[in-house]
Parts: sequence; structure tokens; C-alpha cells
Amino acid sequence: MIHLSAEQALNLRRIAPEIVLCAFGMLIMIADPFLGAAKQRVLGWLSFLGALAALASVRFAAQNPGPAYSNLLSVDAFSIFIHVVVIVAAALAILGSFDYLRDEGIERGEFYALVLFAVAGMGILASANELVTAFVGLEISSIASYVLVGFRKRALISNEASLKYFLLGSFSTAFFLYGIAMVYGAAGTTIIDKISDALSRASATDGHFPPLAVLGLGLMFVGLGFKVVISPFQIYAPDVYQGAPTPVTALLASAPKAATFALMLRIFLLSFGGATDLWFWGIAGSAVLTMFVGNLAALAQTNVKRMLAYSSIAHAGYILVAFAAATDIGVAAVIFYLAAYVLMKVGAFLVIAHLGQRGEKRLSIQDYAGLGTRQPVLAAVFSIFLLSLLGLPATAGFLGKFFAFQAALESHVIWLVVIAAINSVIGAYYYLRVIISMYFWEPSKDYTPTPVAPALGVALFIAVVGTVYLGILPGRVLDFARTAADSLNLH
Amino acid sequence: MPILDHLWIILALPLAGAAINGLLGKRWPQTAINTVAVGSVSLTFVAVAELVREFWQFSGPLPYVNNYFTWIIAGPFRVNSELQVDQLTVVMLCVVSFVGMLIHVYSTGYMAHEDGYYRFFCYLNLFMFFMLTLVLGANLIVMFVGWEGVGLCSYLLIGFYYLRKSAADAGKKAFIVTRIGDFGFTVGVLLAFWTFNSVNFSDIFHQLSTMPAEGATQVGVLTAIALLLFTGAIGKSAQLPLYVWLPDAMEGPTPVSALIHAATMVTAGVYMVSRMNPLFSRAPLAMLVVAIVGAVTALYSATIGLVQTDIKKVLAYSTVSQLGYMFLACGVGSYAAGIFHLMTHAFFKGLLFLAAGSVIHAMGGEQNMMKMGGLRKQIPVTYWTMFIGTLTIAGIPGFAGFFSKDEILEAAKSGPNANIWLWLMGIVGAGLTSFYMFRLVFLTFFGTPRYDEHHVHVHESPKSMTVPLIFLAFLSIFGGWFAAPKLVGGIDHFSKFLDPVFSAYPVPGAQAVAAEPAASGSLELLHALTGWPVIVAVLGLLLAWWMYIKSPETPKRLAKSVHGLYLLLLNKYYVDELYAAVIVRPLLWMSTHVLWHVVDEELIDGALHGAARTAQASGGELRKLQSGNARSYATWVVIGAVSFTVLLLGLWMAR
Amino acid sequence: METQPHLLTVVTFLPLLSVAALLLLRSDDHVWIRRIALAASLAEFLISLLLLRGNYSGAEYQFQEFHNWIGESIHYHLGVDGISVFLILLTTFLTPLSILCSWESIRENVKGFFIAILVIETAMIGVFVSLDLFLFFTFWELTLIPMYFMIGMWGHERRIYATVKFILYTMFGSILMLVAILWVYNRAQTFDLPQVLMLLQSGQLVFRQTTELHLFGAFFLAFAIKVPLFPLHTWLPDAHTEAPTAGSVILAGVMLKLGTYGILRFCLPLFPGAAHRMAPYIGILAIIGIVYGALVATVQHDLKRLVAYTSVSHLGFVVLGIFAFNTVSIQGAVYQMLNHGISTGALFLGVGMLYDRRHTHEIKEYGGLATPMPVMMSFFLFICLSSLALPPLNGFIGEFLILIGAYQQHHAWASWAASGAVLSAIYLLWAYQRVALGDVTVEKNRTLPDASGRERLILATMAIAILFMGIASPLFTRRMEASSDALLENMQVQMNHPQNAARPVDVPSRLSSPPDKLTPALAAVMAGGPGK
Repeated sequence: MIHLSAEQALNLRRIAPEIVLCAFGMLIMIADPFLGAAKQRVLGWLSFLGALAALASVRFAAQNPGPAYSNLLSVDAFSIFIHVVVIVAAALAILGSFDYLRDEGIERGEFYALVLFAVAGMGILASANELVTAFVGLEISSIASYVLVGFRKRALISNEASLKYFLLGSFSTAFFLYGIAMVYGAAGTTIIDKISDALSRASATDGHFPPLAVLGLGLMFVGLGFKVVISPFQIYAPDVYQGAPTPVTALLASAPKAATFALMLRIFLLSFGGATDLWFWGIAGSAVLTMFVGNLAALAQTNVKRMLAYSSIAHAGYILVAFAAATDIGVAAVIFYLAAYVLMKVGAFLVIAHLGQRGEKRLSIQDYAGLGTRQPVLAAVFSIFLLSLLGLPATAGFLGKFFAFQAALESHVIWLVVIAAINSVIGAYYYLRVIISMYFWEPSKDYTPTPVAPALGVALFIAVVGTVYLGILPGRVLDFARTAADSLNLH
Repeated sequence: MPILDHLWIILALPLAGAAINGLLGKRWPQTAINTVAVGSVSLTFVAVAELVREFWQFSGPLPYVNNYFTWIIAGPFRVNSELQVDQLTVVMLCVVSFVGMLIHVYSTGYMAHEDGYYRFFCYLNLFMFFMLTLVLGANLIVMFVGWEGVGLCSYLLIGFYYLRKSAADAGKKAFIVTRIGDFGFTVGVLLAFWTFNSVNFSDIFHQLSTMPAEGATQVGVLTAIALLLFTGAIGKSAQLPLYVWLPDAMEGPTPVSALIHAATMVTAGVYMVSRMNPLFSRAPLAMLVVAIVGAVTALYSATIGLVQTDIKKVLAYSTVSQLGYMFLACGVGSYAAGIFHLMTHAFFKGLLFLAAGSVIHAMGGEQNMMKMGGLRKQIPVTYWTMFIGTLTIAGIPGFAGFFSKDEILEAAKSGPNANIWLWLMGIVGAGLTSFYMFRLVFLTFFGTPRYDEHHVHVHESPKSMTVPLIFLAFLSIFGGWFAAPKLVGGIDHFSKFLDPVFSAYPVPGAQAVAAEPAASGSLELLHALTGWPVIVAVLGLLLAWWMYIKSPETPKRLAKSVHGLYLLLLNKYYVDELYAAVIVRPLLWMSTHVLWHVVDEELIDGALHGAARTAQASGGELRKLQSGNARSYATWVVIGAVSFTVLLLGLWMAR
Repeated sequence: METQPHLLTVVTFLPLLSVAALLLLRSDDHVWIRRIALAASLAEFLISLLLLRGNYSGAEYQFQEFHNWIGESIHYHLGVDGISVFLILLTTFLTPLSILCSWESIRENVKGFFIAILVIETAMIGVFVSLDLFLFFTFWELTLIPMYFMIGMWGHERRIYATVKFILYTMFGSILMLVAILWVYNRAQTFDLPQVLMLLQSGQLVFRQTTELHLFGAFFLAFAIKVPLFPLHTWLPDAHTEAPTAGSVILAGVMLKLGTYGILRFCLPLFPGAAHRMAPYIGILAIIGIVYGALVATVQHDLKRLVAYTSVSHLGFVVLGIFAFNTVSIQGAVYQMLNHGISTGALFLGVGMLYDRRHTHEIKEYGGLATPMPVMMSFFLFICLSSLALPPLNGFIGEFLILIGAYQQHHAWASWAASGAVLSAIYLLWAYQRVALGDVTVEKNRTLPDASGRERLILATMAIAILFMGIASPLFTRRMEASSDALLENMQVQMNHPQNAARPVDVPSRLSSPPDKLTPALAAVMAGGPGK
């Protein structure tokens, strides 16, 4: 009978989600051997259950906000919000992956376990208040995802993607680590919300902002930028997203981004709130690049999966627009955008996963011809995701953009907003082109629709409802986002 | 006062006729259609007659206005649907309703064998409705309704034989050319409202009454309005340079030519100018323009009339010419004379057209006078009535035309703003008129038949056609005698009757229109009977007699000797060709090859497509960066890292 | 007003509700799909008539509904005034007709088609009733998608090109408007139009001249593309030519008015200074549009394209009327919006009926149709006459009011615009002749059936509307008066505001150079008061 001090008990409660996730992960690993290949589906449900449990335990953590483990983690409304987003994304991805894995013949327990571990890592990212801890979280989630990307062992493209992701990933996280070291050198601490004071003290003593810290920020930005896929570090993403098993892509394109953006916000706004004038231009410039690269390159794609990969780059750009506002309104806008974005992006990728059919053969835009008449419901659902990504009013995507633009305007970066606006029109074209193919083209003959499995159906249903709900009645989520932003108490 | 207080009845009757025939007539027998159509206009005439009776007894202030409801209202702009009656209106009503009735009767005979019979009478009744609206309207807008409405009916009736492309073209041409005039008219109305803040005749006149006349050389607001409105008149009444539609309008059935393109619609311009006389009287420059346009047109189209061989074309150009005389009268300030000629012209030109129609009817549709000749035996009624009409238009003393035309020329010579040159043109024109009209008669009714008597079976027209002829012939003789007493030193009853309309708003400063010169009756009479108008008329007659009866070869020799001139006249001075070459074709070409294909397709859309292509292309370029090679990707990451840190440090130093 | 508290919500969303009903039906049950769609749209029309019971003698909005929607700043704020009420009626009037005209011509995916129509109806009405910038923008964008599907799925040969062109063109305009809306919000801290206007009136909110100009530009671009104003019109001919009949009717009948309505409702009251400074240039563009559209229409050999270009010309009149800033011309403009909706809508219906018979829009494929189908051609001529503004038909009233009003400001403008009347006669009568008159040129036209009962019903309804609006215009203008006066007065108030006093914007001298004697009258008219 172990006796826990109140302190420890509180700490445990605060990291309850991570604990639950890891617990279920290990449970699955243990159960795996005892279940025959036929029973793998059980593990799937088990992992889903784990996700739900984690979601429940988030509430548990939410009731006990505050710093955990001597301020390594800070469990506040902000991290809670991100937790919810990440876990929901993971849950949807899990539901969507069942039949995909079966069709691909790779339905194996560790898949689900890895997903849960990755999510746990992201959870840490979301609430990390200490740079090394953050690094650990980053690695946990990354390593899990390297494996997941290569999960289609027999598919060359998948292995290649996995390898690239691993190489470049570790390459860029190394930058992150260097960055941490330098910041530590400059500030003498790695506690995120302590750094800024330290730096200001330092700059007070030797009259200028410590250059080492600036360098450190720059290097950390590489690691983070790589993870949230923004220019010029987006370069790997299309290959990896396309190579990865589509449900993994769904997860990859959504949850890690959310978690990492959360960390980025903490670092840039809490640690470097005093150097906004420095990094603003970096963020803004990167935003412009990211949007143009994402949208223009997407225009040229005929492979829908790859196109959506580029689209997710573009969206990272829009998020940066809100980021550039560098205000709490901006923070609220960013995380609201993340919530909206996760729903529509996961939904879209899951639809593709289904339509791709065995071996992901049907990914080109021609393969979608006449879907509107073949599978009207699925086509309608997909259209809603696409229109939301496009930013049509009354969808989550629109409000995401709307608040992002608003935040940027509050900080008077009109030029950036105008560029973003123009980009969203460029973007409109390739989303609409998919709709053209689905509704205005003659159905392709050699296609036998496969029915949508219940699990996937549920996932899609949740995603659609969420997308529309956030589009029409965003009030509560928005308030949540605002409180989350306030909980960072910037000044 | 049943009618005077319910002027709408006069409009309702023909409108009802049009509606009934238009909606139900299709399946009806001709007799039923006749009853409705002729019935409605006859009732209209009765109503007008009753109106005249009431008007005689009426002693209140004029014009007598009926106001029914507010038709248009927006801010300060307000238009009521109001009708008014004064002496001028009464005259017009009588002419329109009576001639209209006769022509309806005539049409029942003339159109008997045409299909689309109900359509024809529907349009004809509709025309009556709009024409009467035009006459009764108490403000510019209601007048404009009639103005445009008659234009529509003219379009429909000219194009009545819509299977013939020429007919359809002519209808379209008529509508569009008059619309060009209406463009001026519209702007005139705009300027009028801008100036007087009302479009109501009595309001405008009331404000005018205090305004002095503008200088003879100055284009003030009033002159501008007058000229703009007159542009409308030029279009409607086929004056230079917009007369071109009227000759083509002869594509329509002959009764239409008689009613619309001779007796009533084309005179709308004259009516409008006289109606706006307080305005014009204050715009001497505009008056001069009106007079000149009138005189020139009178002479110009008379010359064309000399050589035409189509019997209706001759009459058409003669109409243009006669309208010119009316404007000449208005222009020199003698509106009464203009209206007087309007009336007599309605009688004799209506007569001439109907007679011509009767001839064509008799000849089985032949319109070329060169293929006629010697018809006076076979169709005596037509012959005699037409001969009377000719005497009248030629201005032979005693006939209606003599009185009216004499008054016009008199006014041009010695009226308030007389002008000897205008008078001269008028005189010459009169001579030519007499010549080409007698030429017409001689070619048609005299000499030896030039048609194939085995195929063409000439026959006199039915009663329904001849009776109206006789009526009109009667009027062509006696319709002008209101003015007769003047010749014996008495007074001109016609202009006396109209006087209240034309002298109600005298121009401040200017002395009232000179009273009748007190001279001894006998002298006057002698003077009139031996005046220039009579002389040229007789000369014209004799010349025509000599050229077409005495020595029929002369015309051909003449045509040869002055071939150029002959061709010029025959081709109507090539005006249509000129317009086509200078305006129509260039406009179409520009619209197609510049505006549409270049501006729209090349410039605007080209720019758009260009932008789209650029986006696509740059997308393709960006794709190439995806070499797929991990090492190159790593390089990118490094480049990114370096550039970003450098940027930060740069900014840091700049700090 | 309290008699019908939620009337506007009902009017706006009833079509959407009936969509739900349609969704329940089996998609091959065409008969009932049609019937229900028609019934719903008719009910919608009847209900919308209740809006006339509002009191439009004053400037304040009727049937208002106000709820917070998102946070404190975004509201569900509905209301109608004397201007929007008629545009709503126009919408509800045209929708049943466009459903009726698609009765047989739409064969595949019938369900989707009627759903699209009803969704568009809701979206368009939503635009007209919204008094909150955010709400307005939402509906504004929502009108696009169903139309996109309508052209793309049920259109003709080049439908995809046309529909993409249509949607990208429009989106480009509206996205910048979104930025402007956000900017306004930044300053006013609310999206509620009346509140923003109040702030502007009271001078608590003042835009710097350049800012105002940019904002005006962003709004105006969106609207000008929709109108469409030359040179932003090139999407229209393609969209019209490729759209199914009902699509064209809705597009020409109502959608184009979204643009002119937007100018009236947002551009003018929010940015009067900029509006006044831009007016001379916009007026010129409008006039170019009038003449240009007419000339290009004249030489078209595709009947539908021809009608499309006439829209460019007619809408030019409307824009001119609006930017004359004069109560007469603005009422004329609104009236002309309605007229254009009816007349051009009717023209497209007629063209569609021909298309149903011969499946071509090429004019040379027709000719001499008056012989086989006299009834339809008579209606066709009547509609042409209304479109070429023949008194006493509806077109005349609108055009003439615009001219009268415009003339008060700028003689040259009105005079140039008046020439449009001549040109319209040319292209319409020429087109009519080439279609209807002369001998039947194509053999298979000789046996074409004349208008069916359904078609007669449609055309007769239109004809009656045309005649009625020509004779009973006061029923409309009397209700518009207060709103247009209020609009102009508010603009004046803002411009004369102490804060704005610095601005060198004196209207009459910039807009026109009338003889001195009338300048006071002019100023009075500017203020929306009686002329003299």
C-alpha cells in the first residue's frame, strides 16, 4: 500500500490523461499476443475506449489546474483545450482506421498502442512548461509517428516516407535541442514562463536582449516549424503524408500540429513575449510563404491525398496569421482554428481512406467522378469537409479563418490579412475542383463502391456534426478558447 | 356633362374594342370582329360629337381637366393620369375619331380577304386608343404614353404582313428611327422638369407666362427644351433628317398608311409643337429651326415625289412634304394655320391614300403606276374622289387645301416672323406638289392601259370602301371653308376658334399677333385667287398635263438628258445608303469586333485566364521542388534554419 | 409589428424547411418532389405578402428580430424596410415560376435541383433581411454554392467553365469585403448595422478619408462584381448561357440585385464620403455599361447571351440611379431592380421555353416562329416591350425615374443614359424579328407546338405583373419613399458632421455643374427634400 502525498496525488491527477493513454497502450501490447489475428478488432475498440477514457480524465485534470511536477508541466485551461482537440482527433482516426487496416491486412495491436503513445506525447507537449520536458513530449509523439507512417510494410512508398520522416524529423529536432541549450545559456532556466523574466533581467544588465537567446529561438523554431509543417520546413510533408497509411495521415496532419502549435504559442508568447518585434517578422514571413506554397502547389495536384497534404500546409499558414497577432485574441483564434481544422481535416482524410480502397489505388481526382450519384451521402459529407476547408460561411473552417483574420486585424497587420484573403480564394479552386469531379463529371465505369463501415460512419458523423456545429454555434467553444488564452496570462 | 366629366370613356371604348378582338377575335367570324371594331370607334366618334356639344355650352375656364389617379410619384416628381380638353384638343379629337371611323369602315372591305383579320382590327383600335391618349393627355408624360403607343401600333401595323421581310424591316425601322427622335424628346422632358419642376402643361405654361422670350440667337433653357422636344417631332412627323422611315412604312396595308402615316400619327409632332406654343413662342431660335426644317423638308421630299413610280411612295413623300408645310406654319408663328392644314391634310391625304388603296385593290395588288393607266372608266368613283383629292392638295382655289396652304404661305410671307426665303421654298414646293400629284392622276387614270388586261380584271371597290371615299371627298372640298370668309374681308372662323389656345400666354413685351389686316373683301379675294400659290399650282397642273398626256415621251427624254439628277431623285438622294454606310454598319462592326471580341474576350477575360494560368504554372514549378530526395530536403531545412536565424539576428541588430 | 413576431424568420427559413421535406421523399418520386416544391414556394410567396402589412411610412425597420448569436458582437438581427421588402417579394414571386418552368425541362436528379432552388431562395431572402454584417455575409456567400451546383449539374455544354468562373469571380470580390467588414468591426466593436450607423451618425466613429476609401472599395468591388458593373461583367454572359432556365431566371431576377441592394444598404450609408468622391467615376462606368451592354447585346447570335448582355445594360441604369444620390433616382433604381427582375426573368423564361423545344439558343436556328407559335411570340413581344421601357409598362417607370433623378445631378449622365432607350429598341426588336418574324426558316420549326397551358400560365403571370407595375407604381414607390429619403439624409448628416467638416467633399459642385439659379433646389433634392 503506497502512500501518496497530497502533492503527488495532485500531480497524478494533473497528468491523468497521459497516464490513462499509456495504461491503455500497454494493456493493448499485453493483450495483443493472447488474441488471434481474427480478434484484432477488439484491440481497436479497446484503444478507442482508451481515448474516451483519456477524454474523461481530461475533465479530471481540468478540475485540478496548476503546475505539476515542480512546474515542469502547467495544467491550465489552455492545455486542457489542446488535450481535448488532440484526443478527439486521435479517437476519430482510430475509428476510421479499423476497416482500412483490415483491408490492407495490417490490423495489428501495436498500431493502436502506438497511436495512444503518440497522443500521450502530444498531451505532454500541450501542457509542457519546461523545454526539456517539451522535447521529451516531442520525441515520444514523433517516434511513434515514424513507425506509424511506415506501417504499410509492403508498400514501398510507405517505407520510404517513414524513412524520410525519421531522418528529417530527428534532424530538425536536433535543431530544437540546440535551441534549448542556447536559451538555457542565455536565460539560465528552461522553465518556459520564467525565461522571459530572466531574459529581461539579462537585457537590463547588459543593455541589450541576449543574442544567444535570439539564436536559440531561431533554432527552436526549426524543430517546431518542422512539426507544424510551415515553410520553409514543409518540404518533406507531401511525400510523408502521401506515403503514410491514410488514417495515419489524418492523425499526423491534425493532432501533432495542434500540440506543437500549443508549445510554440507558449514558447513564443511566454518566453519571448519581450521579443515580439523580432519574431513577428519571422512568423509573418513564414505565414506568407506557407500559404502561397501550400495553395499554389495544391492547384497543380491531381492526386487528392497529396492535394490535401498541401492544403494542410496552407492551413498552417492561416494559423500563423492569427499567431502573428501575438495577442491573447490571437491565441484564442489559433486554438479555435486548430479545433475546427482538426475536425474537417481528419474527416476529409478518413473519406479519402475509405474511397482509396485496398492498396490506396483510387486517389486521383478522376476516381471521384460521379461520386455524387454513386454514393450521395458520402459525397455530401466530403463536400461539407471540403467547403469547410475552403472557408464557406456556416462551417467551422469559415469561423476559423474569420477569427484568425480578426485577430490579425486587431494587431493592425492588414497586409497579412489581405494576402491570406487572396490565398483563400486561390485555395477555393482546388477544393471546388473535387466537387466538380464528384458531381459534374460522368461516373467512371470501373468502380464498385464499398459500403461505409459503421465505425467509420460514426467517425465521419461526429466530424461532420462538429464541423457544422462549430460553423453555426461556435459560441461555447469560442468562450472555452478565450478562457484558455487568458489562462496563459500574457501581458 | 356626361363626357366632359368622363373623358376616360373616349379612351375606354377603343381600348375595349382592341381587348375584345385581341383576346377573343381569333375564333370569330369577320362580321363579329367588324361589329366590335367599327362599333367601338363609331361609339368613340359619337362620344366625341357629344363632347363637342357639351364643349359648346361649357363656359368655364379652359383647359378642362379630368384627374383620375396618381400614376407616378417619387419625391418631388409626380405624374397624374389626367386628361384635358380645350379647343385644340377638340379639333384633334374630331379629326382623329372621324377619319379613324371612316378608315375602320374602309378596312372592313379592304382587308376582307386577309388572314389575321382580328389582329389587324385589334391593332387599329389600339392605335385609336393611344392616339386619343396623345391628344387628351394633360401632361408631357401622359402625352408621351400616347406618343410611344402610336409608335408601337405603327410598328405592329407596318409589320402586319410579317412574313415579308421588307415589312418586318420597315416596322422595325419606323420604331427605331422614331425612337431616336424620342431620345431628344425624353431629354427635353427631363430638362423641362428640371426647369419647371413639373411636367404638367398648365403648370409649365403658368410659369412660362411670366418669362420673357429668349434672344433670337441665344440658346437658353427654353430654346433648349423647345429644340429637344422638336427632335421628337422630327422623328414622329418624319422630317429631315429622320423622315426615312415613312416611305418604307408604306409596306403596311393601305388603310394603315392612310390613318397612321397620313392623317393622324405623323401629325402628332405638329400637334405637340402647337400644344407647347407658349414655350416655342419664347424660343425664337427654336421657332426658326422649326420653320427651316419644315420648309426644307417640304421642298426636299416634293422633289423626290416627282419621279417615284410606286403610287403609295409618291403619296408618302407628299405626306412628308405636307407635314413640312405644317411645321413651316408653326415655325413662322401661325400655329392655327398649321393645325388647319393638319386637318385638311387629314381629309385629303386620307382620301388620296384610300383612293390609291382602292386602285391597288382594283389592280389586284399592283402599285406601280407604270403598269396602270386609263382606269378612269372602270373605277369612276375612285377616279373622281381621287381627282378631287388631287385638286385639293394641289391647292386649287375653292378646295380645302387651298385655304390651309394659302394661310401657311401667307404667314410665311407676311406673318409675325415671316421669312421670304422660307416662303419661296414653300411656293416652289407647292408647284412641285401640284405637278407630281397630277402626274399621279394622269399616269393612273388617263392614257392607254399599260397592264395586261387578260390577267388583271379591274373592278370598282365595294360600298364599304367607296362610301368613306365619298365622305372624305366631300370634306376635302368643304373642310376648308371655315376660313373662306377671310377672303371676303371676314374672319377666319377656324383660327378664331383656336385663338384662345394660342394667345392664352402672350409673350411679355412682344405685341400680340397682328390682327387681320383690314382690307376690302373684293381685293382680298382677287389677291388670293391670283396669288402665287394658285399660279404655281396651275403651272404644275399644266406641266403634268403636257408631259404625261400631251407628249408622253418627254419624261423619258428628260430622264436621259439629266440622267444624274434623275437617278439622284429616283434613289431618294441615297440617304438610306448613306445612313447605312456611315452609322449602322460601323456601329455593328465595332460592337462585334472591338467591344465583344477584343474588350470582353481578349482584354478582360484574357487577363483573368492569364492570372489563372500563372497560378497553375507557379504551382507546377513549386512541385518540382519535391525532388523526393531526402538529402535535398535536409538542405532545405538547413536553408530555412539559417535564413530564419539570420533574419532574427538581423532584426536584433537593427533594434 | 408585434402581430407577427417571427415573420421574418419564417419567411427566411420556410424554403429550407421544405428542403427537409423533400429530403424525406424517394429521389425517383418526381411527381411529388415537384408538387411539394411548388406548394412550398407558393406558400412562401403568400406568407411573404404579409410583410406588406408593415408600416413603411417611416424609416425604421419593420418586423425586427434581435438576438445575440456569437458572443456579444455578432447578432441574429433581421428587419425589412421599404426597399428590401419588395426585393423579398420579388424573390418569393420568381421562385414558384422558376420551379414551374423547370417542371419538365429538368429530368435527371430532380430532387437535387428543387432543393438547390429552395436553398437559394432562403439564402437570398437572408441577404435582404440581414441587419448584421456577419449574418449578411454568411447568407451572401451561401447564395453561391447552390447556384454553383445548379449551373454545374444542370447546365449546358460549357457549364463547368462557366460555373467556376462565376464562383471564383464572386468569391474574390466578397473575400475582400469580409476583410473590410472585420475592419469596420474593429473600429465599431459590433457587426450590427444600425448600431454602426448610429456611431457614424453621432460622430463617435469616424473613418480617415483613405481608410474610408479602402473600405468602400472593398465593399463596392464585391457588389460591383455581382451587379455586374462594367468591366467586371464577363462572368455573367457565360453563367447565363450555360445555366438552366430556372438558374438564369434566379440569377438575373434576384442575384444581380444582391449587388445593387448591397450598395444601397451598406456602401452608401457606411461610407458616404467615399461614395460621393467615387460617384463621378462609378457614374461613368455605369453609363459605359449601359451603352456597352446594349451594343454588344445587339450583335449576339446566341439568344441567351443576348439577354445576358441586356442585363449589363439595365443594371447600369440602376447603378447610375443609385449614385445620383437623389430620392427620385434611388426610388427609380429600386423600382428598376424589380422591373429588371420581372422583365429579364420573363425573357429568360421565354428563351427557356424555346430551348425546351429545340435545344439550342442560336438565333439562326429560329426565325418565323410567329407562324407556328403565335401566342408565345405575342407574349415574347410584350415582354420585349416592357424591357425596352415602353410606356405605360413597368420598365418605363423605373428608367424614367432614374433619368429624372440623375438629371438633377448631372445633365450629361442622364442624357447619355437616355440613349440606352434607343439601343434597347434596336437589339430587342431586331432579336424579336430574327426569332419571330418572316418565313419559317428551319423546317423542324414549322411544327413546333405553341405555348402549353403551363407555359401560358407562367407568361400570363409575368405579363400581368409587367402591366400592373406599369400602372400602379405608387403602391411601390410610396413605400420606398421614407427609406430612400432616410438614406440620403443620413449620408448628409454624416458628411456635415464636425469631425468630417475637414473633408473637402461638397457634393453638388463635384457631381454636377448646373446653372446657378437652380443650385439651392439641387441642394434640397440632394437632402431628399422636395425639389423647390
